[in-house]
Amino acid sequence: MKRDMLEACVFATVLCGFFGIILKRNLVMKIISMDVMSTGVIAYYVLIASRNGLFTPILSNANRGNYADPVPQAVILTAIVIGFSIQALMLVGVMKLARDNPTLETHEIERNNAP
Amino acid sequence: MITLTLTWIALPFFVGFISYLLPKLDRYLSLGVAIASVGYALLLFVQPPLTLKLLDSFGVTLLLDPLSGFFILTNALVTVAVILYCWRSDKTAFFYMQTIILHGSVNAAFACADFISLYVALEVLSIAAFLLIAYPRSDRSIWVGLRYLFVSNVAMLFFLIGAVLVYQASHSFAFAGIREAPPEALALLFLGLLVKGGIFVSGLWLPLTHAESETPVSAMLSGVVVKAGVLPLVRCALVVVEFDPIIRIFGVGTALLGMFYAVFEKDTKRMLAFHTVSQLGFVLAAPEVGGFYALTHGLVKSSLFLTAGSLPSRNLKELRHTPIHTPIWIALVIASFSISGFPLLSGFGAKVLTMKSLLPWQVIAMNIAALGTAISFAKFIFLPHEKDEQAKVKPGFWAAIIVLIGGLFLANVVYYEAYTVANIIKPLVTIFLGWLAYFLIFRHTTLKLPRLLEQFDHLIGVMSLMLVLLLGIVLA
Repeated sequence: MKRDMLEACVFATVLCGFFGIILKRNLVMKIISMDVMSTGVIAYYVLIASRNGLFTPILSNANRGNYADPVPQAVILTAIVIGFSIQALMLVGVMKLARDNPTLETHEIERNNAP
Repeated sequence: MITLTLTWIALPFFVGFISYLLPKLDRYLSLGVAIASVGYALLLFVQPPLTLKLLDSFGVTLLLDPLSGFFILTNALVTVAVILYCWRSDKTAFFYMQTIILHGSVNAAFACADFISLYVALEVLSIAAFLLIAYPRSDRSIWVGLRYLFVSNVAMLFFLIGAVLVYQASHSFAFAGIREAPPEALALLFLGLLVKGGIFVSGLWLPLTHAESETPVSAMLSGVVVKAGVLPLVRCALVVVEFDPIIRIFGVGTALLGMFYAVFEKDTKRMLAFHTVSQLGFVLAAPEVGGFYALTHGLVKSSLFLTAGSLPSRNLKELRHTPIHTPIWIALVIASFSISGFPLLSGFGAKVLTMKSLLPWQVIAMNIAALGTAISFAKFIFLPHEKDEQAKVKPGFWAAIIVLIGGLFLANVVYYEAYTVANIIKPLVTIFLGWLAYFLIFRHTTLKLPRLLEQFDHLIGVMSLMLVLLLGIVLA
């Protein structure tokens, strides 16, 4: 029951991010929405990893109960790094665009740069 | 073979960084890596398929067989041509570094057989592609690059959710695990790959991105980069037989959609970009022979983009009044003939092979798409040309074109059985009908298709529609 609630919250986060990308007009807001969406995805990986147990999978003598699955966590670590570097790159691009399009509204930028 | 494979995967990344430290050697190093890739790809055709398990039982594997060999060969040849094209230009070491890293990440995407390595390869690829698109640093190029990065990153987030669902069901990330995965996992994964590969409506980011980039970058993007999303789809269709019809449906839909836009397009680079969409449909329409088609298309499309970059104008209406230099025209015509499926060039063999592997319900639609190809390339073939005009082409242009067109002639041997009388007559009739339709109808049309669907918000919005559509197809 608790798990289903958590899962619902995670998907709500992903959807919030996704709708933010569509509905927000400002480019920076769009990028932040994308970050929210990727936070949701990361949380989903953590949730799936904890399906069998919650303890951190570190080798020790004491038996502390069921371990969380380390594989999805390892994988999502890679994805976090990639996601954050892409975001940094996009913000640099936005900084460059801001010089000529101070409002940073995507409609405006699109109109100014349409062929 | 195992050491060789690992070296080959890692080499482009190492060399990329080294060439940035030794800017004087940048071109030589990049060219060397690309040529090494050609050698490795040729080796794949004679070796037995190689499966490399990298991590215990989580399905992180590389799979190298003749199918990936075709894709890797395409990548290597196009990279060689692009580097030769830029040889005498004033591109900095940064450009060559990104080119070679793009080459390496595309190679990695072709080699891997699990969703997580694929994710990493595709993301590295989008970063490198973004940096190449934004290389001129103009506002427009930065916007086009940002738009590309945004669309592909959002699609890859959906892909990640799908990947973890596959892991949950089968405790492995391997492509084969998709059989046990729930339908929503399939829809999410396919959405990511469809967007990345520029397939169907979700591929409409592609025309603007490919048309507005610089000439060598468009050649790379259109020739190989989109195929990084297509090969995994082909593999899924081959691994799990039940998905084969889904992939084929998308193949036919894409071929018709791209053809429809390309026929009415009046801008050379945009027409070529739409045509890429249509040709990717051909690759997917017959997954088991997609490799050869991808090779042919990669060679032809990059040579067309490089040639289109040397024309005096991008507008086809203007080109009809300004004669082009005859040698350039000849290069253009050879490439156009190959893509229309004219005998003697490998486009003929690829088309015959694809048409033979179609299912009965696909045949009519794919023949219409082939006719559309002939119509759209008649626009190039019947351009005026003259001899005496002093040509102003980039110094590396001819070296690049010789590599690509030479590849087209040589690739004929892959399927030499195609040369029977019935097979030869059919494409000739198709081309003739296409030219007839061009002169009677399409030469005079001034229909301008709206670009509404290519707007940024719509590109993201279409993803949600595609997700619903995919779920519908998978559940049906």
